[in-house]
Amino acid sequence: MSTPSVNLRTVKIVKNILASNDQAAEQNRQRFLEAGILAVNVIASPGAGKTSLIIKTLQTLRDQARIGVIEGDIAGSIDTEKVLTAGACDAVQINTGGGCHLEANMVQQALNDLDLDQLDIVFIENVGNLVCPTHWALGEQIKLCLASTAEGHDKPIKYPEIFALSDVIVLNKIDLIELVDFERAAFYASVRALNRHAPIFEVSCRNSAGLAAWANWLLSQQRSASMLQEAEDRPLNNFDKIRD
Amino acid sequence: MHEFSVMSYLLETVEEEARLAGANKVLAINLVIGERAGIVDDSLRFYFDMFTPGTLVEGAQLHVRRTSMRFHCGQCQCDYGQVGDDFCCPLCHTVGQLTADGSELLIESLEIDV
Repeated sequence: MSTPSVNLRTVKIVKNILASNDQAAEQNRQRFLEAGILAVNVIASPGAGKTSLIIKTLQTLRDQARIGVIEGDIAGSIDTEKVLTAGACDAVQINTGGGCHLEANMVQQALNDLDLDQLDIVFIENVGNLVCPTHWALGEQIKLCLASTAEGHDKPIKYPEIFALSDVIVLNKIDLIELVDFERAAFYASVRALNRHAPIFEVSCRNSAGLAAWANWLLSQQRSASMLQEAEDRPLNNFDKIRD
Repeated sequence: MHEFSVMSYLLETVEEEARLAGANKVLAINLVIGERAGIVDDSLRFYFDMFTPGTLVEGAQLHVRRTSMRFHCGQCQCDYGQVGDDFCCPLCHTVGQLTADGSELLIESLEIDV
């Protein structure tokens, strides 16, 4: 009895598994940039205060920036209603139906329901989870990791990757620091081992401590992003033509 | 549980590349997955077995090469993995700096029958 012959070949690929998500994220990024919008991907564990931070930020920047929100939750639209009531200019709900993170194609759909020309900043509130959302680019310019003192100072040790990849870190519930034995030095040392450059803002969404500094930083990021886009949109002047 | 999504993206790419290469069958998939990617092997295999019946990939071997998260100590000029419950250098106990190691999430190659 003859066995069927196998003509074995090895195909070298070396490709990021999430490459097609990255492509969709790049398209989202272009849409944000063209509209002069700063997009912020908000990643935190459940209960760290993602919605509270978004609400406090949009209230702090009420007269300075038009803020929209894309809410990602497993189910329900409680947070979308909350942010609209609190003064968000626009909000869209994504329900992942059990999915533990948002993906770029979900955000792509949501962008069709937002009036991008009327917004300056868009918060994308990811599903509450410190692991799964980390590697899924959504098209954001800023990946925000939100931690809170009540969760403990060892969060960066337990979930290193999100702290390593974030552009900014916000530490919420700073008003509880004494009550929950949060060791600030240990937190900062482990964050800095993972990420030397991301600014860290300490805030309390409850008593508003530190929110102005955080909101001003965010606004400055939005202004630089939008200035870059304006410069790109401007036709070349004579000097540029000669130089090129 | 993001292994569910990771596996669907992975199989999409594998099937496309296999078809382009004229495969009758995929015999093995070679992956490189770093510790920092937060992927659980058993979970990945669970979804692999769930998604592949009836496809070009059914019955293929899933080979995962693991890489570890590493830190660099500027004082001792050495690289080290996490040893305790902090990120300190095991020699001088100062806090080191994360290197790029361990963040891979790659399809390296396929073994196919053509």
